[in-house]
Amino acid sequence: MDSTTGEVRDSGPLAVSCENLAFSYPGTERPALSNVSFEVRAGEYVGVVGPNGGGKSTLARMLNGLLAPDSGSSRVLGVDPAVEPFEARKKVGVLFQNPENSLVAPFVEDDVAFGLENRGAPVEEMRVRVRSALRAVGLEGYEKRETHTLSGGEKQCLALAGLLAVEPEVLVLDEPTSMLDPPGKRGLLRILDGLRGNKTVLHVTHHLEELLWADRILVLNEGQVMSEVVPSVLFSDARLLGENGLVLPPVLRLARDLGLDLPEIDSSEELAQAILKEMGKRVIR
Amino acid sequence: MRLELEEISYVYSRGTPFEIAALRGVSLAVEAGEVLGVCGGTGSGKSTLAQHTNLLLSPTSGRVLVDGVDAASLEKIRLRQRVGLVFQFPEQALFAPTVEEDVAFAPRQLGLDEEEVRTRVEEALVALGASRLARRSPHNLSGGEKRRVAVAGVLAMNPEVLVLDEPTAGLDPATRETLLDLIRSLRGAGISVVLISHDLDEVAEVADRVCILEQGEVKAVGTPAEVFYGHPEYAPTMVRVVSSLRENYPEIVQPVRYVETVNVLKKLLEG
Repeated sequence: MDSTTGEVRDSGPLAVSCENLAFSYPGTERPALSNVSFEVRAGEYVGVVGPNGGGKSTLARMLNGLLAPDSGSSRVLGVDPAVEPFEARKKVGVLFQNPENSLVAPFVEDDVAFGLENRGAPVEEMRVRVRSALRAVGLEGYEKRETHTLSGGEKQCLALAGLLAVEPEVLVLDEPTSMLDPPGKRGLLRILDGLRGNKTVLHVTHHLEELLWADRILVLNEGQVMSEVVPSVLFSDARLLGENGLVLPPVLRLARDLGLDLPEIDSSEELAQAILKEMGKRVIR
Repeated sequence: MRLELEEISYVYSRGTPFEIAALRGVSLAVEAGEVLGVCGGTGSGKSTLAQHTNLLLSPTSGRVLVDGVDAASLEKIRLRQRVGLVFQFPEQALFAPTVEEDVAFAPRQLGLDEEEVRTRVEEALVALGASRLARRSPHNLSGGEKRRVAVAGVLAMNPEVLVLDEPTAGLDPATRETLLDLIRSLRGAGISVVLISHDLDEVAEVADRVCILEQGEVKAVGTPAEVFYGHPEYAPTMVRVVSSLRENYPEIVQPVRYVETVNVLKKLLEG
């Protein structure tokens, strides 16, 4: 992929494809999705951004067959989730925004095992997978905890562990960091980074700094795909950001407001270094 | 109103093998008309603390004081009117057929006359920028709209202290800004706000004081500059940038909010 022109990957097998998806919730005039078409190749990491009400969560529900489109169609690894929702759910795992909605068992380890149990996984294999999923999300040692005593952030990690345990090929994550503290966020982003290439990921978020390294970003607004771009192009396009209610990550925003042209920067330390360098230049002048 | 937590401890599943001490002797005051930011890692006790402010949870030990009076001696409904609590993902509790009915629910429980209820519903929806949603079903709104309506429902009680638990989780920048503006205007009106959030950048923008919880204990409390510059592991983005610069230029002042930081750094760059 060429990150300077914003060309998207166009080879490799399709993992997700949507064609002219349209959907309206009963009793509403404005469609939640209209004419949504896009493709995601296997192994791609795609960000999905846009304002609340833009259609992001509706799209997530459609990809695992919780909602069926009014018209148009989608395919996840060849399966139409509207026609075969149970088949589709073997291939695509969705992490919903509010983790409370995903927890089903009174104890942590049972909750992670739930999806595997439903698939009839052998007990020994289940144990191994549960343990490794909990380790991946930093909840080792929580096996016997009651889920209702977990914090919001811990519940979010637990819901993710439940998802990872069934090893779906496509992951759709709806605001996966919304309840996490900064270290938790960094940890989760590391987990997601580790999935790159092996899994196909659609990552829905309002925090653009989480998508610095995405292969590309899909901007959904008013139920339509407004743009499909690589991160650097989106970050330097003030109009595209403004029209879709997106704000730059704080470090990039500060750099811009200081008149520094630093599209690739992603940490406060890097920005501080750049400011020092700039001050040095000016002193010499 | 001055709300005070006095040596609060709380243990979940007490007396079972699953005991978890969530709060361990927390003492903290919310002064009248201030915005108190409460930060801390996941599982540090923030939400447990929130649920003590109106005695939704009764402390295992310790007391909650409202203007010096033990909150346990107050009538529950009155306490919960005075201390309004907005849960994490509060939109889960929306239930009425229309938005205005939903927001009207709590004020009606207070026995207010219908005209007063109407006025409060209107005002609360205006404050959240949600007036145009009044006759919609709360179930067919977007996530951001639902959040606005849920907060309006608590605001309509006219609380003296508003406690918000992760109010901006999952919100887009515009909706987040509406909520932060609401917090600023409540402070202007003399209403105290407790803002519980793991988003340090947003706490930095609106808090008058900041408290950091760690493993159920108060690790630090003070002005945003004191707390954030004193605890680098909890520093918001602006403080991190300035702290890095201060390693070379210790004379730089300690701005916390975005606009202040931009001004300080611009001057620095101008030399």
